[in-house]
Amino acid sequence: MTDTTQTERTEARASVLSSALAALPRPALLLAVLIVLLCALVIAFGPVRALQATVNGFVAGSYTGLGAIGLTLVLGVLKLVNFAHGDLLVTGAYFTILFAWLGLPLPLAMLTAMLATAALALATEKIIWQPLRLAKAGSLQLFLSAIGLGLVLRFTVQFFAGSQVRTLGANVVTSIAIGPLRLGTLQALALVVGISAMVIVGLVLRFTSIGKEMRAFADNRALAEVSGIDTQHIINVTWIASGFLAALSGILYATAIGSFNPNFGITLLLSLFAATVLGGIGNPYGALVGGLVIGLSQEWSTLLFNARWKPAVGFALLILMLMFMPQGIFGRAKRRS
Amino acid sequence: MSADAILEVADAVKDFDGLRAVDGASFHVERGSITALIGPNGAGKTTMFDLLSGFARLNTGTIRFAGRSIGGMAPHRIARLGLVRTFQLTRVLAGMSVMDNMLLAAPSQPGEHLPSLILGPRRARAAEARSRADAQALLETFGLRDKARDYAGALSGGQRKLLEIARALMTQPSLVLLDEPMAGVNPTLGRAILDHIAALREQRGTTFLFVEHDMDVVMSRADRVIVMAQGRVISAGTPAQVRADPAVVEAYLGSASPETTA
Amino acid sequence: MSIDFWINVGVLAGIYGIFTLGLQLNAGFTGLLNFGQAGFMAIGAYTVGILVVDRGWSLWLALPAGIVLAVLAGLFVGIASLRLRSDHFAIATIAFAEIVRYTLQNAAFSGGNQGVLGFDAEWRAVSDWMLPWLATIGLGAYTQLPLFIVVWLAFVALLLMMKGLQATPWGRVLRGIREDEDATAALGKDVFAYKLQSLALAAALAAVAGFFVALNVTYLYPTVFDPTFTFFGYALLVLGGFASYGGVALGSVLFWTLLEGTRLIETSLSAGQQASLRFIIVGVFLLLISRLRPQGLLGNVNEMRVRP
Ligand SMILES: Nc1ncnc2c1ncn2[C@@H]1O[C@H](COP(=O)(O)OP(=O)(O)OP(=O)(O)O)[C@@H](O)[C@H]1O
Ligand SMILES: [Mg+2]
Repeated sequence: MTDTTQTERTEARASVLSSALAALPRPALLLAVLIVLLCALVIAFGPVRALQATVNGFVAGSYTGLGAIGLTLVLGVLKLVNFAHGDLLVTGAYFTILFAWLGLPLPLAMLTAMLATAALALATEKIIWQPLRLAKAGSLQLFLSAIGLGLVLRFTVQFFAGSQVRTLGANVVTSIAIGPLRLGTLQALALVVGISAMVIVGLVLRFTSIGKEMRAFADNRALAEVSGIDTQHIINVTWIASGFLAALSGILYATAIGSFNPNFGITLLLSLFAATVLGGIGNPYGALVGGLVIGLSQEWSTLLFNARWKPAVGFALLILMLMFMPQGIFGRAKRRS
Repeated sequence: MSADAILEVADAVKDFDGLRAVDGASFHVERGSITALIGPNGAGKTTMFDLLSGFARLNTGTIRFAGRSIGGMAPHRIARLGLVRTFQLTRVLAGMSVMDNMLLAAPSQPGEHLPSLILGPRRARAAEARSRADAQALLETFGLRDKARDYAGALSGGQRKLLEIARALMTQPSLVLLDEPMAGVNPTLGRAILDHIAALREQRGTTFLFVEHDMDVVMSRADRVIVMAQGRVISAGTPAQVRADPAVVEAYLGSASPETTA
Repeated sequence: MSIDFWINVGVLAGIYGIFTLGLQLNAGFTGLLNFGQAGFMAIGAYTVGILVVDRGWSLWLALPAGIVLAVLAGLFVGIASLRLRSDHFAIATIAFAEIVRYTLQNAAFSGGNQGVLGFDAEWRAVSDWMLPWLATIGLGAYTQLPLFIVVWLAFVALLLMMKGLQATPWGRVLRGIREDEDATAALGKDVFAYKLQSLALAAALAAVAGFFVALNVTYLYPTVFDPTFTFFGYALLVLGGFASYGGVALGSVLFWTLLEGTRLIETSLSAGQQASLRFIIVGVFLLLISRLRPQGLLGNVNEMRVRP
């Protein structure tokens, strides 16, 4: 037999900690923690290194946040853990390479790639997800289908593009100086585009009717259905948004990091999950904020540990969040169905 | 409070997201009685069952079962103490045979624990044979004998209800909580269930607490009735006392009178 | 040449059969979607490799040590994440496997991407002892045959053990949990303790599989234990049959025969493209089988949970 007294003690400790945390207004708590951390880093490492890491954190945060939106919407709206989502990011980046190779100027290639990835995401709904829903597939079936789709996407890319490291082809090695901070031109571009995109997405979700419906749907599907929202329409739009933003996120990643191979999506996926859980499942604003928190934590961690442990910070945050705050920073405890 | 209460609940409170489902409920259940828990929809009866069986945690208040405080105890521990429940929406183990559903409920089967299973396989087999006989007898009483080998998922709604009750009884409980045991069961079968409950009470002294909306059944079969409304216990006593209580009549106004609610 | 090739396919089928027995115990009989099995396999294999190479342990003592460590990892992962919702649990187990792989790739004790080498002398001694015997029946030319025999003996023994365990009251509790954990808890079963046992036992099976992987590749490096291999395990699980241990054997043999068989097809593709194609085939296969026959060849559709 297992030692039940010990497991119960663990449980008790976990619940004490999480209920103590739950008592505080969590967004405020989060902001306070981030500011305290930043101050501590400024004191410990000097303003230049701390701020440089913070800027890098915002870059990482923007692609993580944008990538996580699709994941959280699909999870909220369809109750589907889309393990193939990371590979949609990869698809977006490699579509860009493809369209640029076909002769489109780079910005146009990027836009076309986002549209193509959105179309691809919609196609997966029609070919895979809708039929599985109609067949009342169980969770193992859904998991395995998502994993299967991920393998197909990633290795189709690898089949045609190879597994070697690539770039988007914009070989700009110049950098901009903002005071003592240095930022690669491409990184700066990614930062500006990423932050603007986050703002635009936030506004669209907040003010357009489709944005509102999508949020209502992701938050409480039963309620939204009763109030007469066209289910299939929302689902389609969710997939289109998910694919489009995934491609954008993948392109930002490719731009900011510079070089990549077809495995970057699966590597990034856990960070995206971390952002999703952090923000509360089904909450797209939460995903944006969660992405920023993950990005900042990873970059700040490079001041403390070797940079190669960066992804591990994402994993660790994911596991800690799942254990102690599974409903996320903005989430509230869900009703049992 | 009665000296011979098997279950005592005092000032139980349970909140969900700001909604107070149980709001300071207090009552007791007498040992060996058949007690009905009634109340309009949303009164907090199922939530009360969740609290009693450990599936929901009290915000404040106490629950004592057979003299022990069980508030906050895990469901399986409460069940092992002899307090078992059924669910309002039946929960049979669909992918297992009817017989396996029953055998799973057998108490103290040494074969369920790896060390004793490996060290004493013969004891496990003996216990299994005894449980099988018990299960057969219970299935016989509940008219499910022919179904023993079928998957529980293949049973009709009413049969599932029966299986769930039989399975709860298989644990040899001292207190059984039945959440709407007759809902979805045809009246003849429903009466058979009630007869069986009455017989078990006579033979084994098992205590029953059941939620039921059919007032005829409640008034004719229960020794005592507890009435909940809006999370509180508003009345308790013999069927005659409860029926005469103006608070009860008032609680049912707006939905229906207690006589006609089905 | 071609016989050596098929012997090797048999070794893979046996190893992944052992690996997947654990997944079947978790997913097929407990309803636990464990996606971290490759992590447990890596822990088992690296423990063996490191103890033998760095600490001079005997290979045969290192094997149980590897199993114990994997079981401890299983208990740790379980205590940390078994109380989560099932989809969160699945994500947490993937994260665990990634952490394991990541650590092995970057830490000093595991040799990083250089890996661990030179732990299999004692096994080769046994293998060399077996070959003359095999030669007497005319099979002495096949150097991987001893491993094939040992792997399959272990696989069959473990398969029978798991089948036997599943038929006991203990196995019945697991199935109850798979069907409805609340209802099972309401009957007095400590659901958490059983899930923990299921996960720990699966981790032990993964460690045994890891031991044989180590003997097979003779050289441990992190990509051998890529979390993707857990998905291979699930692919052969659903091919053979959900909630069927016999199905694991059938599924593993079919899966590896089909997958490795594609190597024999002459194409003008580069090696890299062929490798990609094999993964694409696995992906398409997962999509098709989930849709067309989710219970697999030998699985029972009644035991396939269709609850949302
Ligand atoms: N998990 C939950 N989360 C939030 N609210 C809940 C939850 N369970 C119950 N409630 C609410 O608590 C109140 C009491 O519900 P409960 O199910 O206990 O009533 P009941 O007396 O069993 O009703 P019925 O006769 O319809 O079964 C209701 O308003 C219900 O909506
Ligand atoms: Mg109820």
